[in-house]
Amino acid sequence: MRTHSEQGNTPIIETRNLAKSVQTLEGELHILSSVDLIIKSGESIAIVGESGSGKTTLLSLLAGLDTPSRGSVVIKGRDITRMSEDGRAALRGELVGFVFQSFQLLPALTALENVMLPLELIGDPEAEAAARVLLERVGLGRRLSHTPRQLSGGEQQRVALARAFVAGPAILFADEPTGNLDSKTGAHVIDLLFELNQERHTTLVLVTHDASLAARCGRMIRLDAGSMV
Amino acid sequence: MKRFNLALRLLRRDGRSGELTLLVLALLIAVAGTSTISLFADRLQRTLSVQVAEFLAGDLVLAGSQAIDDSWRARAADLGLTQSQTTEFSSVLLENGQMLLAAIKAVGQSYPLRGILKTLEVEEGEEVTVRQGPEPGTAWVEKRILSALQLGLGDLLTVGEKPLRVTRILTYEPDKRGDFYSFSPRVVIHQADLQATGVIQPGSHVHYFYQFIGAEPQLKAFKQWLKPQLNPSQRILDIHEDRPELGSALQRAERYLGLSSIVVVLIAGVAIAMAAGRYTERHFNAAALFRCLGCRQGEILWLYTLQFLLLGALASAAGCLLGWLGQLGLFYVLKPLLPQQPADPGLLAVVFGFVTGMAILLGFALPPLLRLREVSPLRVLRRELEPLPAKAWLVYGLAIAVMSALIGRYSNDWQMTASVIGTGLLSLLVLGLLIACALSLLRPLLPRLGVIWRFGVQGLLRNRRASVSQILAFSITLAAMSLSFTVRNDLIDQWQQQLPERAPNYFALNIIPAQQPAFALDLSGAGMEGSAFYPVVRGRLVAINAEPVQKRVSKDSQGEAATQRDLSLTWAAAIPADNTLTAGEIWPQNEAGWVSVERKLADNLNIKVGDELQFTIGSEQVSARVANLRSLEWDTMKPNFYMIFSPGTLDGFPFTYLTSFYLPDAGKDLLNQLLKTYPAITVLDVDQVLKQFKTILMQLTQAIDLLLYFALAAGFAVLFAAVYATLDDRIRQAALMRTLGAKRGWLASTHLVEFGFLGALAGTMAAILQQVILYVFYSRVMHIPYRLSWLSGAALLAIGVVSVGLAGYWGVREVLNRSPMRVLRRL
Ligand SMILES: Nc1ncnc2c1ncn2[C@@H]1O[C@H](COP(=O)(O)OP(=O)(O)O)[C@@H](O)[C@H]1O
Ligand SMILES: [Mg+2]
Repeated sequence: MRTHSEQGNTPIIETRNLAKSVQTLEGELHILSSVDLIIKSGESIAIVGESGSGKTTLLSLLAGLDTPSRGSVVIKGRDITRMSEDGRAALRGELVGFVFQSFQLLPALTALENVMLPLELIGDPEAEAAARVLLERVGLGRRLSHTPRQLSGGEQQRVALARAFVAGPAILFADEPTGNLDSKTGAHVIDLLFELNQERHTTLVLVTHDASLAARCGRMIRLDAGSMV
Repeated sequence: MKRFNLALRLLRRDGRSGELTLLVLALLIAVAGTSTISLFADRLQRTLSVQVAEFLAGDLVLAGSQAIDDSWRARAADLGLTQSQTTEFSSVLLENGQMLLAAIKAVGQSYPLRGILKTLEVEEGEEVTVRQGPEPGTAWVEKRILSALQLGLGDLLTVGEKPLRVTRILTYEPDKRGDFYSFSPRVVIHQADLQATGVIQPGSHVHYFYQFIGAEPQLKAFKQWLKPQLNPSQRILDIHEDRPELGSALQRAERYLGLSSIVVVLIAGVAIAMAAGRYTERHFNAAALFRCLGCRQGEILWLYTLQFLLLGALASAAGCLLGWLGQLGLFYVLKPLLPQQPADPGLLAVVFGFVTGMAILLGFALPPLLRLREVSPLRVLRRELEPLPAKAWLVYGLAIAVMSALIGRYSNDWQMTASVIGTGLLSLLVLGLLIACALSLLRPLLPRLGVIWRFGVQGLLRNRRASVSQILAFSITLAAMSLSFTVRNDLIDQWQQQLPERAPNYFALNIIPAQQPAFALDLSGAGMEGSAFYPVVRGRLVAINAEPVQKRVSKDSQGEAATQRDLSLTWAAAIPADNTLTAGEIWPQNEAGWVSVERKLADNLNIKVGDELQFTIGSEQVSARVANLRSLEWDTMKPNFYMIFSPGTLDGFPFTYLTSFYLPDAGKDLLNQLLKTYPAITVLDVDQVLKQFKTILMQLTQAIDLLLYFALAAGFAVLFAAVYATLDDRIRQAALMRTLGAKRGWLASTHLVEFGFLGALAGTMAAILQQVILYVFYSRVMHIPYRLSWLSGAALLAIGVVSVGLAGYWGVREVLNRSPMRVLRRL
């Protein structure tokens, strides 16, 4: 497992003048405009804002899932906006973990297999052992062979947490991880998320519209109609 | 290796969750279907060709007017071929003051290599089947020899200078050949007595036949070796040339078998394409996740291609096994009809089944699979992001390439393949446009429809592109199914016409003009239906436009065969009803000096309308100008003529009449009476040949029927599977509608409407497609006249509505009974 010792000082993600606009039938739509942001290694940061304010768009640009219309995103000194799609994929595999609002577990796979997947894709022979440890850690040691359909929403999100951490990412992106859960279950998942984040010194970028959740992060930025306020 | 293991694991997980069932089913049908058919066709063909070889008394026969070199026979022996020999010549027999021209055949110890002889041991006794010719010193003769020469069984018959004891009456020999009108009665003797007859002198007119049997590769090798060494008077007999009526039946059957496997491949291909499309769509999320987790585009494609290859290999292997069993089953069902010893199934055909499976998989499944490469990683955040649909040229291009390769392989005729594919492509394009138009026409109707109908039709219009390709897929499947059905019916009709129930089974020749009216009266009085009486003069074609005909013949050709012997020349005021003029016109009424020539012979000898033909009849010369060319069906058992003259041209030459008639089995006594009344008339029995021919046609018919049922079953299975493949979207819609309060009955009705429409459109398109393909297929491949069939079009429409409508309705109905929440979560 990698450790991230240089926490707290070096910037791990840096954006300059980041903007995204799309062509629609009614003309050009500016979703994001000139976002300048520096996220330090080991930091936890919350992106908040109303629905439709551009949070998910920003997250997708930071994680290299989408390309900006203008500006740049630099991760660990590498400008990902200049990389090829495959280059960004490689970077994601190496540095990034994800948790999604809709869990995104593969329905054909058991909990264990879902968690093993990131390691299997890089050909790690210890995939199964590592996945078992993490599932144990999120309290699902007895549900290894269950498929997502046999798990509750909270349980599914805990599997997704295990999957996100299994490859030891430097950065974890979470897009409204409690959005599909009731508040009690959501709180439990968030507790787990922060615990794991702490243990592994991961940089956390959390998108939410829940103020109390945002307050647990080290820093908070607010988006309004595509601009930082 | 790591990738391979991962692919295997992913595949196993998908398989466990039932994600692959539909795809595997489609593949199994494709491979099991094609390998059953190719195994069966290959085996049946080899079985039948052994049977057909009986007509030649060997698998390969070398005919010529000289004895062959010993080195050739040594070569055959080296190759492990078994051989026998027959020598045929004409000789005048003289006994009890009677004279008769007989056809003598000297046979070796091992004759016949294929087939059997039938004989009578006492004059009115039972037929006895034997597998060998007469012993040295004895002769077997046709019955009319005995009556004509006033001999009995056990008497001595002198052939040339050698007296032989007549021990049996010959009733059937397998390799009876030549045209029916020139037959002299047969005498079979042993090869060992040939020398002693003293008939064979240098310069005498003798035909030598050498029969060979053995394993196929060795026969082929021998044939290859032999061909370049043949001299102009020698030729290799081939069932397709020597017995055209059987040859063409076999050839059509082979083509039908080929067509059936292409139909099955096409149907299964459509199913695979649809199943692969569904598989792909259900794996968009996984692909997006893989991208998110760091997989490169190429890796994703490779990962899924590997899975497909693995799946294809497994399913193809299983399909081959099923095909093997299927073929055994088909042969088991056909057993009572087939010869005792069917040929072994060919291993090569199994390999071909496997290769076909993989080819269909790649051809039909690769294009949708390629979309997985294009899935955006952003889909993990925005579910609605879908990759572009697969490029149409890629989807159809690849499928067409695979189909071309398969059709080409079956037909071995690339020109035909190109025309079939070209037509198919054009029809697809036109059909696609037609369907799009039909859908557009539905839209303005919407406001006028009742609410159930409106929702049903809207379902169809919601995703136009998907609807068009679904309708196209269903119409291809339906058209393919109906195609094998229609062609089968026409093929069998054709055979039945060729050999009607009461096809003439006897020929009567040498009827002298003075006796003809009485004979005709006796025939009809005894209830025997006959053809017309044709006057016959024997003569030989010697020159065309004063150029000796020998200069025009090419080796081994029909022209050569027809100019080396006397032809039966006839005359008539008009050409026979079942002949068709292909060039020129009928001669002016009652004008002598014209001749009508059979088209193939004319082509062969390069005879044109207006040419001057010269014939030798007896010691005289006659010439006539070619008035027209005409084509005829050689594969009917009716009297056919190469040359028909205008009345008056052959006046003054001695002639006899020829006719054919049908005599039921029970009427043999009548025949004997007739023969006693008209001792000079020669009656020729082709009943045995006809029966054998009919048996073969019946076997082929049965085989083809079995294949048809097979293709139809596969078609329906695939149709249902394909409908299921389109259901995901509709099920989601239905579940959503139910959460919004739609009643089950209402939803069921809208679905029935939607699928009913889908089926109706597919049925209509299938009917159009079917007629176009039939037209091309009939006129180019089968050479059967085409006629538009409204009935089959209407039937297709009905089948489309019922099968697609019901399949879709059932698929959705199951879901309507469950709670919508469970459905939504499951998807
Ligand atoms: N590809 C796109 N085309 C058009 N509009 C888009 C596209 N992507 C996002 N939007 C719009 O941009 C706005 C911001 O979206 P998003 O980033 O998802 O907001 P949030 O996550 O804060 O709710 C929304 O109004 C959304 O509809
Ligand atoms: Mg969002």
